[in-house]
Amino acid sequence: MKTLKNIFILGISLFMSVSCMNDFDEPEFKTPPFGNNAIGEANTTIAQLKEKYATTISSSGVEEITDDIIIEGVVVANDESGNIYKQFVIDDGTGSIIVGVNDVGLYAVMARGQKILIDCKGLHVGGYGQLAQIGGLYNGSIGRMNKFTFPLHVKLEGTPSPEMHGIEPLVIDETFFTNANKATLPRYVRMNNVHFEEADGTELYAPEDIAYNNVVERTIKIGNTRVLFRFSTYADFANEVMPQGNFDITGVLTRYRDYWQFMLSSTNDIKSENE
Amino acid sequence: MNRFSKYAALLMLMLHCEAIALASGTMQANDTSVDESTQRMVVQDKRGKNALNKEIKKDPAFRFPSDTLLLGEMQAIDAQANDGKDVFTFSEGQLDEDEDVIQGAATLTSSSDDYFLSEVGYLFSPMRFRIRAYENMYNNMYANGVLLNDAERGNFSYGMIGGLNDATRNREGATFLEGASFGYSSVGGASNINMRASQFAAGHKASLVGCNRNYLARAMYTYATGLMENGWAFAGSASYRWANEGVIEGTFYNSFGYFLSAQKIINDRHSISIATWGSPTERAQQGAATEETYWLANSHYYNPNWGYQNGEKRNARVVTSFEPTVLLTWDWEITRETKLTTSLAGKYSQYGTTALGWNGNAADPRPNYYQNLPSAAYDVWSLDYTPTEDEVADWYRRYDYWKASKANRQINWDYMYYANQQANETGGNALYYVEKRNNDQMMLNLSSVLNHEFNNSNKITIGLNLGTTKGMHYKTLDDLLGSDSYGADIDKFSVGDFAPNSDYVQNDVDHPGRIVKEGDTFGYDYDIYVNTARLFGQYLHSESNFQFVAGAHIDGTTMERYGNMRNGRAINNSKGSSGTAKFLGGGARAGLQWNINGNNTFAMGFGIEERAPLAYNSFVAPRMRNDFIYGLENERVWSQEISYKLSYGPVTAKVTGYYTQFDNVVEQSAFYNDMLSNFTYLSMTGLQKKHYGIEAAIVYNITSALSVNFLGSIGEAEYTKDATGFLISENEEVVQNDKVYMKGAHIDGTPLTAMSLGVDYNINGWYLSANANYYDRVYIGASSYARLSSVVGEPVIDVNGNEVLNKPNQFHGDGGFLVDASIGKSIYLRGGKRLNINLMLQNILNNEDMITGGYEQNRDDSYSDGEARTYKFSKNPYLYYANAFNFYLNIGLRF
Repeated sequence: MKTLKNIFILGISLFMSVSCMNDFDEPEFKTPPFGNNAIGEANTTIAQLKEKYATTISSSGVEEITDDIIIEGVVVANDESGNIYKQFVIDDGTGSIIVGVNDVGLYAVMARGQKILIDCKGLHVGGYGQLAQIGGLYNGSIGRMNKFTFPLHVKLEGTPSPEMHGIEPLVIDETFFTNANKATLPRYVRMNNVHFEEADGTELYAPEDIAYNNVVERTIKIGNTRVLFRFSTYADFANEVMPQGNFDITGVLTRYRDYWQFMLSSTNDIKSENE
Repeated sequence: MNRFSKYAALLMLMLHCEAIALASGTMQANDTSVDESTQRMVVQDKRGKNALNKEIKKDPAFRFPSDTLLLGEMQAIDAQANDGKDVFTFSEGQLDEDEDVIQGAATLTSSSDDYFLSEVGYLFSPMRFRIRAYENMYNNMYANGVLLNDAERGNFSYGMIGGLNDATRNREGATFLEGASFGYSSVGGASNINMRASQFAAGHKASLVGCNRNYLARAMYTYATGLMENGWAFAGSASYRWANEGVIEGTFYNSFGYFLSAQKIINDRHSISIATWGSPTERAQQGAATEETYWLANSHYYNPNWGYQNGEKRNARVVTSFEPTVLLTWDWEITRETKLTTSLAGKYSQYGTTALGWNGNAADPRPNYYQNLPSAAYDVWSLDYTPTEDEVADWYRRYDYWKASKANRQINWDYMYYANQQANETGGNALYYVEKRNNDQMMLNLSSVLNHEFNNSNKITIGLNLGTTKGMHYKTLDDLLGSDSYGADIDKFSVGDFAPNSDYVQNDVDHPGRIVKEGDTFGYDYDIYVNTARLFGQYLHSESNFQFVAGAHIDGTTMERYGNMRNGRAINNSKGSSGTAKFLGGGARAGLQWNINGNNTFAMGFGIEERAPLAYNSFVAPRMRNDFIYGLENERVWSQEISYKLSYGPVTAKVTGYYTQFDNVVEQSAFYNDMLSNFTYLSMTGLQKKHYGIEAAIVYNITSALSVNFLGSIGEAEYTKDATGFLISENEEVVQNDKVYMKGAHIDGTPLTAMSLGVDYNINGWYLSANANYYDRVYIGASSYARLSSVVGEPVIDVNGNEVLNKPNQFHGDGGFLVDASIGKSIYLRGGKRLNINLMLQNILNNEDMITGGYEQNRDDSYSDGEARTYKFSKNPYLYYANAFNFYLNIGLRF
C-alpha cells in the first residue's frame, strides 16, 4: 500500500510540475514588429508629393518614384468595416492620399489614428480616374503595391490616437463642390447637415440585389449638390438601414474622373443631428 | 519473492504463457497446441484453479510453443511482445500519437493465432494502416467487458489510455467472425483490456524510452502486488511522456498517465475490482500542408501550425485532453461452468483543441493561407498561359518572402499581438484571438456478460450492455492575445449579410450583444445525448476438427441534441431539445472453421448488421441547429470472408479473402468555405462503400531461431454510389439539397496495398528483426464539397461521345518502401531482476516521400460567377508524410 501511495504522490507531483507548457508572456514592443524601422524623417508633405506628380495624376498616368521622398501621415480611412478594400488613406494636414496594398485586413497595423511614414522611393504614384494614389504598377496603370513590398516601405510611429494626432477633417459645405480644385483630392473632410436621398426608413446601404460588381451607388445631398457614394456589398453595414434625416458625416472625398465620390470607413462616422 | 503465494506464482506462469501465445506467430517453435479460446479463459480465471489443466488441450489449429522453451527465450519473447510490439489491438504508435494526424490508425484486433492480424498493427503503423481500410468506429474497445468507444463518434479514443502501455497490456481480441467471451464485436473486431489488479505480474517494472517521435522521452513505472494471501491485489502505474519539441518542428508533448487498480477476491465465487486511470495531456499538433509549401520550406515535415512569439516557438493548435475513467467489476462464478461478469464504467472526459480565430475583416493569419503563396500570383498550372512581367515579379516576391527566413513561413504571433495592442489604443476589439473547441463527454456504461459451458464442446455467451453519454460541445475564448476586448458574441460571417444590429447575427439571441471575456463560452454550445442498449448472444460449438460460432445482437439507440444557445440563424430550432430519434438495430454472424487435417484449415464466415448512424453525423449543422438530417436510417453492414491456412513443416501460411459492404452510410464534413466566406456543413446520406481484398501471411521457420515472413494486404475500399448532400453555412437559414458525386472515390488515409518481407532471429536472449515494407495507393480524403453537382457542373461530352463529369481526380501517393529493424536483449541480474533493452529503428533508408494521407481542399477553382480563380485549389491537396528515419530505445527493468 505504501508503494501505491508513493506512486500516487509521485504522480500528482509530476502532474503539478509539468502542467501547462503553453504559457507565453505578452510581447512588449519597443519597435513595431511590422514595417521598416530604418525609414528616416519625413521630407515631403502629401500636398507637395501630389503637386510634384500632378501631371501624372491628372492624366491618370503612373510613374515610379525615384527620388528619396518620405511622407508622413495619419491613417484617416481604412478597410476595417469592409467598405474600403485593399486601400487606406493618410492625411498630414496638407492633404490626403490613397495608399493601395494588395492585402486584406490592413487595419491590423493601419488603424485609424495611426501615424506612419512611407518611404516612397521605388513605389509608384499615379492617378486612378485622376485620383492620387500610391501603390504599385498594375497593367500599366497605378494599382496596389505587392503585400510583401509594403512592409519594406512603411514605418509605424507610436500608437493610434483617437484624436487622430490632431489631424482634423476639412469641414466643407456645398460651395466646396463648385469652387474646389479636384486635383487636390482625395481629401479628408466632414460634411455637416446632409442626408441620403434614397433613405426611406427601409432602404439598405448596399443590398446585393441592386448591386453592380458588388457596389451600390447612393447619393448624399448637401444643399442642392449631389455627391455619389459607393458602398460595397462586402461592407459590414451593407444590410443596415440607411439613416433618414440629416446628419454629419466624416470620410474621404474622392473623384473618379469628373465625378465626386465619397469613401466611408464606418457608419460610426455618420452622426445624426438629433444625437 | 517471498510473499508470492502459490497463486501468484501460477499467475506469473500463466502470464508468461500468454505472452508466449501472443508471440507464437513469431516463434512457431513446436507443435504443442492450445485452444486459443481456452487459453483466454485461463487468463481470466483469476484464482488460477485448474488453469493448467484447462490449458493443455490439443488443438492442431493453433500453434503454441512448447513449455520446453528455455526460460530466457520465453522472457525475450515476453519483452518483445511487451515493448512496442503489442500483439493485440493497437501499437505503441497508436498509444503515443493519439488521434492527430487524420484519425489514428485503427487496427483490426485479433486473436493471437492470426499472424497477419497480430503483426500488421505495429508493422504498418508508420503509414497509419487500417486493416481492410475500415474506419475506427468499426473496431470496439472493451475494458473488463464494458464498451469504451465514444458513442457520438464511434471510435475509441486512444488518448484515454495514453502512456499507460503497461497498465493496458493484458488484452484479448476477437475478429468479427470469432467468438468473444466479453462482448459483441463490430465488423472491425473487438478487444478487451483486462484491468483487474490480480492480472498484473507481481513486482516492479520501470522503463525509460528515448526516441525522436512525437515525444522524446518516456518514463514509466508499474508496481503490482499480485494476488496476496488476504485475497487482495493492487496494481498501479504512472508514466510521463515529454518533448520540449518533438520531431516535428513547433510541436511539444506533455503527458502524464496514471492507473490504479484494486481487486478483492472475496471467496471462491465472488471478486470485486476497481480501476481508475487517466492521462492528462497537453500536446501541440502538426498540420498538413500543400506540396508547394513543402517545396518552399524544403521539407515534407514543414508544420504551419507554429510561429515565433518573443522569439519563442508557439503552436496555435494545442490539444488538452484528460479522460479520467473509473471501472468497477464484479466477477461471479455462479458454478464452475457459469460465470457472470458485470462492469460499470464511468468517465468524464475533457478534450479541447485550440485554433487561431480572427475577427471582423482581419486577414487570415495562417502563414500558408493560399493568398500568400507564389502560385496565387498567376496560373502556374496552365501550360498555355504566359504570365505578364508583373505576374512573374509578383511570383518572385512571394517566393523570396517564403525563402528569406523561417519566420516568414510560420505564424507571426508578434504581429497579432501588436495589432491587438494597437486596437486597444482606440478602444477597438481584438483582431486575433485563440479559441478552444471543447468536446467534453460524460459516459456511463454498464455491461453484464454471462458465459456458460455446457461441456467442452458447447459454450454460450449472453450479454447486456447499457450506455448513456452526454457530449458537451462548446467553444471558449482561450486567449485574447493582448487585446482588452473581444466584443459581442456575434457571427462575423453574418455581419455583412444581415443588419449588424439584428437578431440574425447573434449567436445567442437570448443574450444579444453579450460581451465575451477570456474563458467565456461563445459561438456555439450544445449537448448531444446518446443512449444505447444491446442484448447479444453467442453460441460456440467446437470439436477436434470443427468449430462453429454464431452470434446475434439487438440494439436500441436514441439520440438527441440539446441547444444551450438560441442561434440567430435558427431562432426556432436551435435552443432546447431536438426531439429524440430512435433506432432499432441488430445483426447476426456465423463462422465456421474446418480443420481438414493437421496441415490444412479452412474457415469462412459472414455477418450482417444494422447499426444506428452516429450522432456525430446525424445533425444538420449541429453547432447551430437542432435538426436531424432528413431521411436518417440505419446503416447496413454486410461482411463475408473466407480463409485457408496451411501448416506444412516449417511453413505456415494463411490467405484470407474478404468482402464488406456498407449501405445507407451517413457522413458529415464541416469546413471553412472560402467561396461562401463561411463555415459550412455538408452532410451526405445514402452512401455505399465496398471494401474487398486479400490478406496473406507466410512464415517460414528456417531454424528454431531464424524465420522469414511475408505479409501482404491488397484491397480496394471505395464509395460505390453517389449521395444526397445537405449543405448549409453558418450564416444561412435554409438547407440546400444537392447531389454529391462520391462514386469512385476511395477510402483515404491508409495504404490499400501494403506488403512486408521480414526476417526474425533469436539467439541467446538476443532478438533481431528487419522488415522491408512496401506501401502503395494511399488516397487522400475526397472532398464532398468539390463533388457537389453545383460545383462539378453539367457533364460534358468527351471525344468518344461519353458524358464525363468534371470532378476531381482523387490524389494518391506513390508506392515506396520503408525499412525497419529492431534489436533487443534481455539481461538477467541477480535476485531475479531482469533488464530489457530494445532498440527499434524505423525508416532506415530515410524515405521522406511516403504520403500517409491528407485531404482535398473544400474549395472551388472558380468564383461564384464562373470566373476562374488564379490559385487552383484542386491542384493543391493537403498532405501528410510518414516520419523520416526515427529510433525508439526502450530500457526496462523488472525487479
